[in-house]
Amino acid sequence: MTSVGLDLCLALAVLATWLACLGFLRLRSELDRLHCVAFVNVTAVPMIAAAAFFEEGVTPRSVKLVALVIMTLLTGAAMSHAAGRALALRDGPRA
Amino acid sequence: MNPWLLTLLALLPPLLAPLALAMRGAVGQRLVAVQMMGSVATLILAVMTFAFDQASSIDLALAFAVLTLPATLLFAVYLERWL
Repeated sequence: MTSVGLDLCLALAVLATWLACLGFLRLRSELDRLHCVAFVNVTAVPMIAAAAFFEEGVTPRSVKLVALVIMTLLTGAAMSHAAGRALALRDGPRA
Repeated sequence: MNPWLLTLLALLPPLLAPLALAMRGAVGQRLVAVQMMGSVATLILAVMTFAFDQASSIDLALAFAVLTLPATLLFAVYLERWL
């Protein structure tokens, strides 16, 4: 059961990353591409943290991974906002 | 093969797409590509700690995630004002 959960989480993380990168290539506008970055932050990183818990339970490493997830979610939102604002101010409606 | 190692290998090709976009095109596109590379690289560093069983190297992923924020903000300010 643990092994199935681990494999499933890792497979979903890889799938989400591939999907985001393919979307990154497919989408044309920079603001659209920011959504792909957010998608990786929201799906793949928590999946890796879940896989870590399946692998070894509560350990300092898995707790640090949870801290990484929280930090990625918080800073990812701030970075997307900053990048989107800079692009909108620079390029205007063309962004 | 270790599932973590397989995951690590599977995560390397997605790094190439934003790398290719970061090397050419408009400066705004490069900023977004660098952001994408940062997210995927954080993921790769986190997986590497399990693939190579080096518990202390999770700090590298954490430090990278912390340092990505000021780097992107600085890039965004430069893009907004001067580039």
